[in-house]
Amino acid sequence: MEIVVASGKGGTGKTFVASNLCVYLKRNLSEEVVAVDADVEAPDLLMALGGSTREVVREEFYGSYIPAIDMSICFNCGRCAEVCEFDAIHMAPEGPVIDYSKCEGLGTCAVVCSVKAITLIEDKTGDIYASETPFGITVVTGDLELGKGNSGRLVYELKERAYRIASEKRVEFRVVDAAPGIGCPVVSSIAGSDLLITVVEPTPQSLKGSLRLLEVAETLGIKTVAIINKYNLNPGFTAEVEKKLGVEVLGYVPYDDAVVKAYTSAVPLLEYSPASKASEALVKCFDRFREGWFR
Amino acid sequence: MTVLTVTGGKGGTGKTVVAVNLALALSSLTGERVLLVDLDADNPCTYTLLNVEPKTVEEVKSFKPVIDKDACVRCGTCVKHCPTHALFLIPNAGLSFIETLCEGCAMCMYVCPKEAISRGHRLTGWVKEADAGDLHLVLGELRPGDRKYHDVMEAALNYAKRIWGNYRIVVIDTPPGTGKGILMALNSSDIIVAVTEPTSLGLLDLKRLNRLVTPLGKPEIVVVNKYGLPGGAHNKLERYLQECGLRWAKVRYDKRLMSAYIRGKPVIRYDPDAPSALDIQALAEMLAKEMSLNRS
Repeated sequence: MEIVVASGKGGTGKTFVASNLCVYLKRNLSEEVVAVDADVEAPDLLMALGGSTREVVREEFYGSYIPAIDMSICFNCGRCAEVCEFDAIHMAPEGPVIDYSKCEGLGTCAVVCSVKAITLIEDKTGDIYASETPFGITVVTGDLELGKGNSGRLVYELKERAYRIASEKRVEFRVVDAAPGIGCPVVSSIAGSDLLITVVEPTPQSLKGSLRLLEVAETLGIKTVAIINKYNLNPGFTAEVEKKLGVEVLGYVPYDDAVVKAYTSAVPLLEYSPASKASEALVKCFDRFREGWFR
Repeated sequence: MTVLTVTGGKGGTGKTVVAVNLALALSSLTGERVLLVDLDADNPCTYTLLNVEPKTVEEVKSFKPVIDKDACVRCGTCVKHCPTHALFLIPNAGLSFIETLCEGCAMCMYVCPKEAISRGHRLTGWVKEADAGDLHLVLGELRPGDRKYHDVMEAALNYAKRIWGNYRIVVIDTPPGTGKGILMALNSSDIIVAVTEPTSLGLLDLKRLNRLVTPLGKPEIVVVNKYGLPGGAHNKLERYLQECGLRWAKVRYDKRLMSAYIRGKPVIRYDPDAPSALDIQALAEMLAKEMSLNRS
């Protein structure tokens, strides 16, 4: 089963929920859990789960292409510039010039070139690594090259990698910690998952983000439940959040200093402070999920 | 004209809060109307904080294939060439298209030997605009379900660039991250304001962001938001800032800021004596000074 944790807005507690869900699943339902950090522009899950004790995979990921023009063959017909949907090729007097910041690496230019002057070179867009962690969870992390795009393809690859690791070890649960927002990497994170947990704060901004996320989940046909985090920051708004979301709410987690302290110590909250209010509330949310799905 | 970009690798550190309040403070200080550009197309929140309803000024569109089923001979050429596997042949049903996988390169249209594919458009998002009194707001908004957020960011930035000659101060608010969209915004900026929080995750993401920002050689100020957060990793963060020789300013952890935020109001106008509002005011004064130095 693949469970994805996402929210339309940043900083609502995705990594907090995902890391502790891993700990919970391992304690109660599964010998092992494979986690995926799909926030490839700011990956934090490995740190939240205590850091790497042993790296088991490290690979480069070539997720895109860069066109290269052989100027000895090119006769400046301008066809490549004409067909580029991204306005990434301009005709200069000396021939076509590629603006790599606009290029999506999809290769229409290379295919239409009548003299085959354009070749596509594989472009490294990130690294993939998998690590074992102190609390027995294997974390697959993607690290997008700074300033690069195509993060959705890296996320697909991470999920595929996690699936393979989980199949080999016969691990039932995979937990995906998504990037903030609803764009390319988030669509890839959600697509094909069995359950989406959206983490919402009782603020208008977070509610708006989650409603946008629910629209995406609906187009992809993914079942969604919610956890309302830091609910005591704005308790008066919680009922409205619940009503507007219109999905099952697993529970409410209070703001708790212990959460920040647990991060500072790089230990998941359920291990760091099991008696804290946030821990107890989170366990209640997960119990409800477990009862709903596994009874 | 000076462009300030408010960014920060991690989500939820307070980029939008800092950007909106800073823009308002700069407007009050200078008497100028400030252009605020919200590039967080996934979830633009500036307008909820400013309590305005932006109007669409541009639709962002990308290519999508329109298949002429009668002309299509099911040869599979487009399927073979589609770089994102958005087209496929189903036996007895013909050519099918999955829009969420399509990145709009138009390859299929050019390779089809029967000219059975023509140009259609799909709506990716909108560029919107609002008059927010002392601020003029331009924002990009992604259509939920579409994934091409960089296109929407670029369209919003280009729209802003067409009008920003009329302003002396431009503030850009970015989404979280360190990818292509962030780099695009940074490349258009004169001063970079990196917002972080005193947590281990905030520090980790700030370090990563700085690997992108530092090589650009542009002036950078780190804003440590939620300064004083109980249990926070202040020592580690301050040590890092000192080691890197980074200029930084603090915005104190402040329940009054949260109280303004949940009402959808900028603290600097709603509760100007709140500790966080005073800190943002001080930051604005420092930046205003720096900008006038830049002008001379």
